Amino acid sequence: MHSLIQLSIVVLLLPLLSFVILIFFNRRLPRRGDFVGVGILGTAFALSAYIFWTVIVQTYDPAFRVAWDFTWIDLGQVPGIGPLQIKMGIVIDNLTAIMLAMVTLISLLVHLYSTGYMAGDKNYGRYYAFLGIFTFSMLGIVLSDNLFSIYIFWELVGLSSYLLIGFFFEKDSAADAQKKAFLANRVGDIGMWLGILILYSQFHTFSFTEIYANLAAGKFAMSNAWLTAAGLLLFMGCVGKSAQFPLHIWLPDAMEGPTPVSALIHAATMVAAGVYFVARIFVVLTPDALHVIAFIGAFTAFMAATIAITQNDIKRVLAYSTVSQLGYMVLGLGVGAYSAALFHLVTHAFFKACLFLGSGAIIHAMHHEQDMRWMGGLRKHMPWTFATFTLATLALAGLPLTSGFMSKDAILAGAIGFATAEGGGVYYLIPVLGFFSAMLTAFYMGRQIWLVFFGESRTHLKPADDHHSAHHAHSTHDTHNDDHHAAHEVHEVSWNMRAPLVILAALSVFFVYSPNPLDGAQGWFMKMIQTPPTVVGSYQSAPSSEKLAVGSQQSATEGENSALSTQHSALSEQHSAPEAEHSALSTQHSALKESTQHSALTNERQAEIAHASHAAHFPAIYISSIMVILGITLAGIVYVFRIIDPDKTAEAIRPLYLFSLNKWYWDEIYDATFIRGSMLISKMLSWFDTNIIDGIVNGVALIVKKVAFANNSFDKYVVDGLVNFTAFSVNTTGAVLRKLQTGKVQTYVVMLLAVVFGYFVFYFTRLIY
Amino acid sequence: MEHLVPIGLNHYLTISAFLLGFGLFAVMTRKNAIVVLMGVELILNAANINFIAFSKYNGGMGGIMFSLFVIVIAAAEAAIALAIVINIFKIFKSVDVSSIDSMKE
Repeated sequence: MHSLIQLSIVVLLLPLLSFVILIFFNRRLPRRGDFVGVGILGTAFALSAYIFWTVIVQTYDPAFRVAWDFTWIDLGQVPGIGPLQIKMGIVIDNLTAIMLAMVTLISLLVHLYSTGYMAGDKNYGRYYAFLGIFTFSMLGIVLSDNLFSIYIFWELVGLSSYLLIGFFFEKDSAADAQKKAFLANRVGDIGMWLGILILYSQFHTFSFTEIYANLAAGKFAMSNAWLTAAGLLLFMGCVGKSAQFPLHIWLPDAMEGPTPVSALIHAATMVAAGVYFVARIFVVLTPDALHVIAFIGAFTAFMAATIAITQNDIKRVLAYSTVSQLGYMVLGLGVGAYSAALFHLVTHAFFKACLFLGSGAIIHAMHHEQDMRWMGGLRKHMPWTFATFTLATLALAGLPLTSGFMSKDAILAGAIGFATAEGGGVYYLIPVLGFFSAMLTAFYMGRQIWLVFFGESRTHLKPADDHHSAHHAHSTHDTHNDDHHAAHEVHEVSWNMRAPLVILAALSVFFVYSPNPLDGAQGWFMKMIQTPPTVVGSYQSAPSSEKLAVGSQQSATEGENSALSTQHSALSEQHSAPEAEHSALSTQHSALKESTQHSALTNERQAEIAHASHAAHFPAIYISSIMVILGITLAGIVYVFRIIDPDKTAEAIRPLYLFSLNKWYWDEIYDATFIRGSMLISKMLSWFDTNIIDGIVNGVALIVKKVAFANNSFDKYVVDGLVNFTAFSVNTTGAVLRKLQTGKVQTYVVMLLAVVFGYFVFYFTRLIY
Repeated sequence: MEHLVPIGLNHYLTISAFLLGFGLFAVMTRKNAIVVLMGVELILNAANINFIAFSKYNGGMGGIMFSLFVIVIAAAEAAIALAIVINIFKIFKSVDVSSIDSMKE
């Protein structure tokens, strides 16, 4: 076993240990055992950082991969299924190493942050236990090398998410939100499981590498439509977990959980697991499936951004922003901007965690006031929070010099490239929606920053009864009773809540990822994460056949697989010019063509999209910068200079405003269709049950009763009569016969003689006649 | 003496029948167990007479052998039966067979 594998197993099991210790012993430990959680996560992070260092910094090889597995369950030949052998395994490649470090780092920071935020909660110890099991499950997803174990951990993160959303389960809204999250995820997971089963039915394996190899060898016996269906069903898991349309409805409600949990699970890691999963199965996805994914991502990004504009709850804005950014990532994967999407996953994880923890600090300081309308002027009171929150906001909006700028532009460039390669038309909708969402992002984040940090405090403007009820709802963890002193008591949070903010904000700056603030592709991340060659069948689109021919020629001239690695090492040394890079990219794809003839054309398409994306790099930068600046300017016009009054504008476009405020009425639509529908079906089934099924049962019972009654009579009079008659006759006979038994020998002798005499009489009578 | 009928098989059988009848009468009617036993002896001897008579008129030694066998058995039977009677007397303080009816239960 590779030493990195051993290390990663330790990293995986450490949070589980934390969970076990804390769930059983938290009441016996000082401080409810929070130091156990923080300490264990610190260790896990240190080990992950070592893995990261070894894999990314020291090895620096895009093709790095170590794997290990063992047979977990071997059922041999199962009738109707074939050989059923379930393996568990661990794979470490560049993506895993990055995710490992990211998850443990954010988890560690959230653990640390929670020592301040959750202090004094009555279920403090259990909270840390839940964080432990979540981290364990998330690391399991990241390390899994097969679909089966990823599904297990997938459900485990769902469970931990459920537990943590409903952490304040005394509140009805929290209990409802956790149920909603669980059910929405269930819908997605069913699809994911069906997708896994389709692939299993073909290949009899869950392992990623074996599935890829089988698929590349053309062993998929069913039609391409089935492969598309399998890809889309697997994508349904992502739709549920990463809150994509149409299952996005649970994520904003999930904000009922503690804010650090929102940062860890519902912004940085778990929701990104969907994107991670799609990246893992990326090579299985057919072009058709990718198109659907791209459109769903684009639509989600746009829809969530429009909703975020009008929300008043500070966490809900961030929640819709998360949905929107996840839409970007899915969009990125859909258009084939694989590394860009994963890059955005990582950068988003850091700045969004920073935003959530920042909002947690604000909520904490405001004594659990979450409504931005009653905030304002916090800049002076909370300078650290303000600085970090603003930096993360800039990253989210995608201003140059931030990490978000690089990753988002890479995705948008990919979207433009995709639209160009596909021949335009409706495909341009994807980049257009992407850019428009970028503007909306800048706008709503500008609005949030202004409402929260600038201006005067508006605490006193809050309607009293509203305030009271809100206050009452949070009374479980709020010790302050004096409402109106809140504004005066606002002060900066303590160091253990500030340190995570600073670290996360620092990770939102460009130089962490790339030396060139305008081009993420020159950074280590996008060099380490390369688009894997697809293994699905050939794909041909009419307008691009000319370019395909060019690509094939290149592949003929360029050579072996080995050429690939040399090309890459050369590349990493010189941070070469765009032309060289593109040629390297196409070389990779052409080289892979040799090994997988079957999927060659699709890979050519990937190369082509990559080429077009590269060409679109600078246009993307310009357009998105303009959009961001436009968005921020608009926010400034509306909220800073108040040239346009937001309330009057809202009145002027009231239908649109309400449409956005009510979240596009998705909840109402689902309520009217699925919920009412299932209620109606339930009622119908209930009626059927009470009247038909119960009727049948009662009818049968009645028949049985009648039969039993008849049977009883028969038993009583006929059977018992016969039995009694037999007894009676035996009794009577006995009574007669017993007279004969006198006990006297002489009587017997007489009887004997009488019988003998009788016999003689009989015999002689016969003789005579 | 010529008018006298020579003794034949029927005479023997007649005597035997009378003896059997007396024996049975004794067994069935007498109350004393000893007398009942004596009746049994009469029955046995009636059988012996039959054996001897048939042996004489039919030839062969089977009947004679059988009667000897019966005499031996009768001796043994008398010994055992008297012992039983003594035991009965010890238990019931009586040898009246009509009062001994504990076989009824």
